[in-house]
Amino acid sequence: MVFFLAKRLIQSVFVMLAVAFLAFSLFRFVGDPVSQMTGVETSVQDQERLREDLGLNDPFAYQFARFTGDMLRGDFGFSYRTRQPVAEMIASRMPATLELGVVALLISLLVGIPAGVYTALRPRGFATQAILMITLVGVSIPTFVIGIMLIFFFGVQLGWLPTFGRGGTVNLGGWETSFLTVDGWRALILPALTLGVYQLTLTMRLVRAEMMEVMQSDYIRFATARGVPMGRLYFRHALANTMVPVITIIGLQFGGVIAFSIVTESVFQWPGMGLLFLESIRFVDIPVMGVYLVVIAFFFVLVNLIVDLLYVLIDPRLRISDVS
Amino acid sequence: MRHYIRKSFVLGGALSLAAISVQAESFNWASTTDPQTMDPHAVNSTPVLSFLNNIYEGLVRRGQDMSIEPSLATSWEPLEGENGWRFHLREGVTFQDGAAFTSADVMFSYERASNEAADVRSWFSPVTDVRVIDDFTIDFVTNSPNPLFPSSIANFMILDFDWATANNAALPATDSENFATLNVNGTGPFTVASRDPGVKTVLTPNATWWDTPTHNVTEATFTPIGNAATGLAALLSGDIDFIEPIPLQDVAQVESRDGFRVIEGEETRVIMFGFGHEHDTLLYSNDVADVNPFQDPRVRLAAAHAIDIASIDRVLFRGKIEAASQLVPAGISGFSEAHQDRPAYDPDRAKELLAEAGYPDGFSFGLKCTNDRYINDEALCRAAASMFAAVGLDAQLSTGPVRDYWDQLRADDFDMYLLGWSPGTFDMEHPVRFLLHTQDDDARLGSWNFGNYSNARVDELLPLFQQELDPAARQGMIDELVAITQDEVAYIPLYTQPLIWAVKDNIDVTQRADNFFMLRWVTVN
Repeated sequence: MVFFLAKRLIQSVFVMLAVAFLAFSLFRFVGDPVSQMTGVETSVQDQERLREDLGLNDPFAYQFARFTGDMLRGDFGFSYRTRQPVAEMIASRMPATLELGVVALLISLLVGIPAGVYTALRPRGFATQAILMITLVGVSIPTFVIGIMLIFFFGVQLGWLPTFGRGGTVNLGGWETSFLTVDGWRALILPALTLGVYQLTLTMRLVRAEMMEVMQSDYIRFATARGVPMGRLYFRHALANTMVPVITIIGLQFGGVIAFSIVTESVFQWPGMGLLFLESIRFVDIPVMGVYLVVIAFFFVLVNLIVDLLYVLIDPRLRISDVS
Repeated sequence: MRHYIRKSFVLGGALSLAAISVQAESFNWASTTDPQTMDPHAVNSTPVLSFLNNIYEGLVRRGQDMSIEPSLATSWEPLEGENGWRFHLREGVTFQDGAAFTSADVMFSYERASNEAADVRSWFSPVTDVRVIDDFTIDFVTNSPNPLFPSSIANFMILDFDWATANNAALPATDSENFATLNVNGTGPFTVASRDPGVKTVLTPNATWWDTPTHNVTEATFTPIGNAATGLAALLSGDIDFIEPIPLQDVAQVESRDGFRVIEGEETRVIMFGFGHEHDTLLYSNDVADVNPFQDPRVRLAAAHAIDIASIDRVLFRGKIEAASQLVPAGISGFSEAHQDRPAYDPDRAKELLAEAGYPDGFSFGLKCTNDRYINDEALCRAAASMFAAVGLDAQLSTGPVRDYWDQLRADDFDMYLLGWSPGTFDMEHPVRFLLHTQDDDARLGSWNFGNYSNARVDELLPLFQQELDPAARQGMIDELVAITQDEVAYIPLYTQPLIWAVKDNIDVTQRADNFFMLRWVTVN
């Protein structure tokens, strides 16, 4: 187990290095940070001096080595746009993104799994057809359109929910949380729905397909014949056996939710990392973009690790082989 | 529904009653860009200077009609016996931390703002010396007569010497943040109560402001909202009271709803096409080689005659633009009344001119445009490309985001390009200095003259009219200069773009042509 974890951690360092390298080699094509940092009246000499000071004239390899070297020492640099420390900026935006992602994930699981089970057990029911239809529509419409539609319906027409931002937040030792105020929860609903709808559909369809397959298997027939109660049969015997592929996909998707909450965050002006990344692209804020991408890579690695650990919990066979 | 309306009306009534009884008028507004910094000398950009003008003040300030009026200086006059200006400072002014304002603060702010670390230092390039005469008198000596100097420093904001030095903010932050990046201590009408960069900034009135407040705001909250649809929804849902700008296509929707108003005006930004005057060949042509037809003024004039501004106005801008004849719009000082006609839309004349220049069948070239910088910029270029095509000019359009646009233009990677220019000093001198004078990095001239248009007489006229104190003589020189650049079609000025703000009906705001938003002119009714 320890060996497994250590191996994964070493792998993750290489993944993050690779991401940093790819990101860094793309930054040169994003634009010129200096022309974003200075006003129109700034002279060419002053721009050139700034470019020199920032080390933008150094060769690519040198710039990359400096970036990774500073990162390894824990120095994440300063934003070109706001001159704030990048680590501080990302840390202050991370709670918003994580809370949004977690709530979106919970919505997708709490609705997706029961819906998947239901639609698998009643494949020809009217409700099943309706659910499948609605989620198909939901998944076909681009995220930002869903977001705008929700905003206009619940925010503008009905006036029930706020249209942007996080509402009331409470600072818990540096972590700004929305979970402790009514306002915070109200502000969370629409963006979490927007972000979760794709996940929800995916989870539901996956659970449905797996369930239908499992229900055909011999041991279920045998259990049915033995007279195992239906509730126990569906959830203890059938659903548990669908969980390995479901957890894999959901885990991978959660990394995606965090990484691609950019669109949702921009539509709802949700002050998370994704919004910060978008602003940074607009201003060619290379230090922030670089650190953001590395952090996201780290999330992916971490989520994959957790997924692997969950396998062991869910599938007893893996536990046995580990012990032996 | 009826019931719902009545209920909300009653509720609204109760709220406004409550508001009157406690005199609390909170005001929420949004714009697309968060000011990058709270340091008034660190970044010379509209979002920063506009925002900070609510907090800091200069020696002079601009009124609602852009005119220059006294602020921290009560009066000023030209120096006797040498070039420059003497400013008499207002007495009894205090900074928000209670420190008294004196000439030492002006001196310090000058040194800070003209330092290499400051992005606003170009304002002080004519200044050779600054002398403190007494606590409330200070002289700015300039290298030549400079009638424009007082108005050119309207955004030069004054910091308190003691506050800045005590907090290690004696210079603007360049590579890392400092105290002044996040904290403020101005003399102005508002102060920052809290700031979360990129998320929210809360301003409260400065109780010790020297001037009489004309606003009734007790708390103002600014939220940057980058997404236009989100901003519109926030306004229509009532979450915010005012937003600028809103996209042209949303104007009808705002106007159709009760309780909201759209405020329109002309920005001073002139949108134009520029040429590669200095390029000997075209980069993106399929049919002409070894020659740049745009070096021939007849070809440039043909391109100007090909553009139908009235149609662009009707189709793309819903009648909200003003055609432009020169690099500043009417109303800006130095605007040449004598030359306010732009080349008429005349495709036949354009074809004749092309034939005279030796291109009866036209030619192809590259047209470079932004797609996120000016209002409808990409659509404008598509329209222009089809208008060019109608006279035989085959424009190969390429559009892209502004973040690498200037780089490409500086690298001469264009045949024709789109540019918008707002005269920072609100005088014709500004675009002449940046767009028409021959490129000269050492003299800091022509730095945005990407195609390097060059005319010896224009270069000669610029310093002459910069130093001319007699308004009539000055205007005479500018008229001559405008005539030259129109004859040579140095640029094709197209139009000035509109400013479109949207606001709740119960809010009064003042729109200024420089697109600055001043909280001191906000009234919540």
